[in-house]
Amino acid sequence: MSSGNNAAQNPQVNYSALSVGSPISKRSYVVAHDLINLYKLAVQDESKLMTTGNGISKVHLAPPMSISALSLRGVVNDLKIPGGTLHVGQENEYLKPVAIGESLYCEATISSNSVRGEWRFMGVALKVTDSQGDIVMNGKSTILLPVEGE
Amino acid sequence: MGTARREGDKLTEIRKEVSREHIALYAEASGDFNPIHIDQEYGEKSPFGSNIAHGMMVAACISELMGANFGSSWNKTGKMKIKFSSPVFPGDVIKTSGFIKKVAQIGRKSLVQCTVSISKQTGEKVISGDTSVTLTK
Repeated sequence: MSSGNNAAQNPQVNYSALSVGSPISKRSYVVAHDLINLYKLAVQDESKLMTTGNGISKVHLAPPMSISALSLRGVVNDLKIPGGTLHVGQENEYLKPVAIGESLYCEATISSNSVRGEWRFMGVALKVTDSQGDIVMNGKSTILLPVEGE
Repeated sequence: MGTARREGDKLTEIRKEVSREHIALYAEASGDFNPIHIDQEYGEKSPFGSNIAHGMMVAACISELMGANFGSSWNKTGKMKIKFSSPVFPGDVIKTSGFIKKVAQIGRKSLVQCTVSISKQTGEKVISGDTSVTLTK
């Protein structure tokens, strides 16, 4: 379902060495029906999938937040986020509907990185493009990683 | 689709109970297997004293709220900026609500800005923030 990684190839991630603009993750995914069904079950979203087009060209759209979750999948794995990490903020901008079955390319880069007290405040910029090269989502996650154990 | 379109209008609310089973499903769907979410022993020893739901799992209710009220416009013009302020534990019942803060007319389009939040059965807010969506007449 996914391919490509960056930091995942390193057993340890040196968080203090990550500067603004550093790439974290580059991954490709197919927005599979099964994944969307699992996502909707998990978030208890019982609404009907939205559609675009009409007649024979009618396609189902992925819930926007499922795309955000997909964009964070690579971050979670490639950044090797430690157990005590907290997700404190999220920004998402949806620019184009994503049809189920679409191929997406998710990129994540560091947008801020500083230490305050016992926590590392890290901003992660997210960009998702579709198979036509159009940006479908921009986002930013703010996470707090425990400095202890780095 | 909801009928909220004017400043001050409330968005149709969503309520749901968060369970361990849903958290485990979300871990599968998101690929986030952080033990704070799914390892009961780890959760009990954590500062929270329990496992907690993924923030993005809870935040999905805001996207659902916007989709329910504004249809597919949310998929192509939606924006959200939220803060996670408190954890959600298995068994918590969460209520997602919001209202239209401002409507700006831009030609044939309306930029609808909303204030949204998610709170627990205790009334404690767990997520708060702003969303916007552009509607075409």
